[in-house]
Amino acid sequence: MLFEIHDPKAAPKPIGIDLGTTNSLVACVRNEKPVAIADCNGEILLPSVVSYAEGDTVVGTPAMRLASEHPRETIVSVKRFMGRGADDPETRRLGPYEFDDSPGDVNTVRFRVRGKSLTPVEVSADILRELKSRAEDELDRVGGAVITVPAYFDDAQRQATKDAARLAGLDVLRLLNEPTAAALAYGLQSKKNGHFVVYDLGGGTFDVTVLFLEDGVFQVKSTGGDSQLGGDDMDRAIANEVLEQLGWLAAEKSKPRQLTKSPKLTPAVVRLVLDQARGMKHVLTTKDVVEAEVPLPDGGTRVVRITRARFDELIAPLLERTGVACKRAMKDAGLKTGELDGVILVGGATRVPAVRAYVEKMFGKEPLVDVDPDQVVALGAAVQADLLAGEGRSDEVLLLDVIPLSLGIEVGGGVVDKILPRNTTIPTSARGTYTTQQDNQTGFEVHVVQGEREMVADCRSLARFTLKGIPPLPAGLARLEVTFRVDADGILSVNAKETTTGIEQSVTVKPTYGLDDETVEKMLMDALDHGEDDLLKRRVAEGRVEAQRILLATNKSLEADADLLEPGEKGAIETAMRGLDEACRGEDPRKIQNGIDELDRVTKSFAGRRMNRAIARAIGGRKVDEVNREVEHAKGIERAHE
Amino acid sequence: MFDPFTILGLPRRFDVDLRAAEKNHRELSRVLHPDKYAGGSATERREALTKAADVNEAWRILRDPVRRAEALFQLEGIAVGETNEPKPDPELLMEVLEKREALADAKNERDVDKVRALEAEVEAREKKIEETLASAKSFDGALVAKLGEMRFYRRFLEEASAVEEELAG
Repeated sequence: MLFEIHDPKAAPKPIGIDLGTTNSLVACVRNEKPVAIADCNGEILLPSVVSYAEGDTVVGTPAMRLASEHPRETIVSVKRFMGRGADDPETRRLGPYEFDDSPGDVNTVRFRVRGKSLTPVEVSADILRELKSRAEDELDRVGGAVITVPAYFDDAQRQATKDAARLAGLDVLRLLNEPTAAALAYGLQSKKNGHFVVYDLGGGTFDVTVLFLEDGVFQVKSTGGDSQLGGDDMDRAIANEVLEQLGWLAAEKSKPRQLTKSPKLTPAVVRLVLDQARGMKHVLTTKDVVEAEVPLPDGGTRVVRITRARFDELIAPLLERTGVACKRAMKDAGLKTGELDGVILVGGATRVPAVRAYVEKMFGKEPLVDVDPDQVVALGAAVQADLLAGEGRSDEVLLLDVIPLSLGIEVGGGVVDKILPRNTTIPTSARGTYTTQQDNQTGFEVHVVQGEREMVADCRSLARFTLKGIPPLPAGLARLEVTFRVDADGILSVNAKETTTGIEQSVTVKPTYGLDDETVEKMLMDALDHGEDDLLKRRVAEGRVEAQRILLATNKSLEADADLLEPGEKGAIETAMRGLDEACRGEDPRKIQNGIDELDRVTKSFAGRRMNRAIARAIGGRKVDEVNREVEHAKGIERAHE
Repeated sequence: MFDPFTILGLPRRFDVDLRAAEKNHRELSRVLHPDKYAGGSATERREALTKAADVNEAWRILRDPVRRAEALFQLEGIAVGETNEPKPDPELLMEVLEKREALADAKNERDVDKVRALEAEVEAREKKIEETLASAKSFDGALVAKLGEMRFYRRFLEEASAVEEELAG
């Protein structure tokens, strides 16, 4: 008889969220099929627009309506700013925002909105809150969430996404790469094995991923992209063209990329023209020419006309940029175009005919478009959320993803020593060993960077810390071991120790970009109406969700591996389970945590035995010498066939 | 000591069965990946993360001949890495230098065939070392110089492939 879990309501339902540059949406699995969740008006796509114009926070379509009137207070495409520093070039592109430029705190961009300063993490959290409440309306109880990120997101951008989810009160099961999510949505439906390319051109990011699908295992071979390239740039290209036609924007001859702004170019005009440009792009998807009426400051209007041919010309450089990334990804995967089994298109911008033609020409294959390119990522995320909750075909399906960019540390002369190369399968860990440069050096500065270039200055700085307390030794004698660990979300942690003394140093990593834990905690408090009271309630709720998950999993393992239990062990585990269940009925988050810890303690050695059994089964449970014999045997057969 | 062979359940030898290694990597990932323990206890999640990372690292080592050879020496207690190994043979250095110059010439002359011929030559040399390592009875200090040689060839082939790509367009 298994332990009965106290559960007054239905089991919480895991969800998948696509937090997109232009649109966001939430999905879940119902009757073994992923479905997108609509709002009360039947709308599935939530425009990723947040307006703070009228005091309250407004998200989605209503916020979009406020954008032209309140361009500075309405944040559009916030994803472009995630994990970016205040000095990022993104802040200088054509856009209506005002940025905080208080010196000293440059590790995150801050929007200046109605005298307050807002980070992209907070704005994204508002979008996630909206999606969460939409899911709650539909599903009674929302469980954990899988949130998608562009495969090419670096560590800081991933961390920022996780922080936003935490702020929105979501229990993040996993960050999932968007192309992998799309493949998951496709793979399960078509059940094909082989090599696939996912070409994902979203609103603000471009990803390309090459993956190999075999017997339910999705192994990412390589990934590449550009985290600042997307449909938005097409809008911008059209907007620039429109403004040039109006004579409000002139390209300077000497610096073609530098634009001379006319005083007529107010934030409201920029917003309006960008919105019109998007509309024109949509029309050009099916028509050969589009005309738009641009309202003039004097009350009149002017008609601007753009042909499909001109549009194709305008976006050709953008497509070339995607082509470079595609070629590199194919090379990294060791594949030739002829060896591909399929090309999957993801992202609204792949509706543009020129994009489809370009992809088809590059890969020599007609791309698959069976699943709605706007929904496919969220649907895949919902499938993954379900799998993580132990539902569906969780025994058969597995995603093996990679890190998109190399990780390394700074060594002498500003050179990068790569510790983990790009496209390394995650989770992973690796070590680098270094030594001191000077006699009696007692501190060692570790500077962690991400990128492909050889010089630190050309890579993205992730974090810095100093390892102190190294024994004074002549230069070159101390041995410093730096360990990188990347978890299944693609997030890095770094550890350093001096091995001649054997004393491990605990080091605080200060992220170069993004928010530290304290700031997030403070934002969390501020976001809640009644501060500590609400926080307490939230901790209880979060504790319960986690406890429930662990109780369910424990029940499952007791059932599956009952024969591995030692005498008395089952009794002790069940006692701990009852204790935890009891704690969940109360309102004390510490008691719930203690219950979780106690259950962890009494199941520790059982868990170890289970894992060893799983390993033995996976490699056939054979001893090494048996494997040896088989290898010899197999080789004999191979030779016979030569 | 990190033993990629034991982790993937394969005998410790240079000519390891790569197909078996790939299969074991996949099957072990299937049971050890942190996704499989999303509902597990903290201990389970931590253990799964460490073990899955080890399995990935083991596969990364085994599928790369240079790293695989390095692991075999390390498992015999022999330190590897350019500072620990004996200085390369001057004759070898001379030869590599000449090949590099030939590659640079081929690049300037935009002679793809010449680049390919150089590649084939170096690949044959590399293969020879691999054969020596595959038939080695033990991985002792006498063989360790082969590592440096392998790295030279590897670097050369990477450069040649870059040149070939550049010439192709």
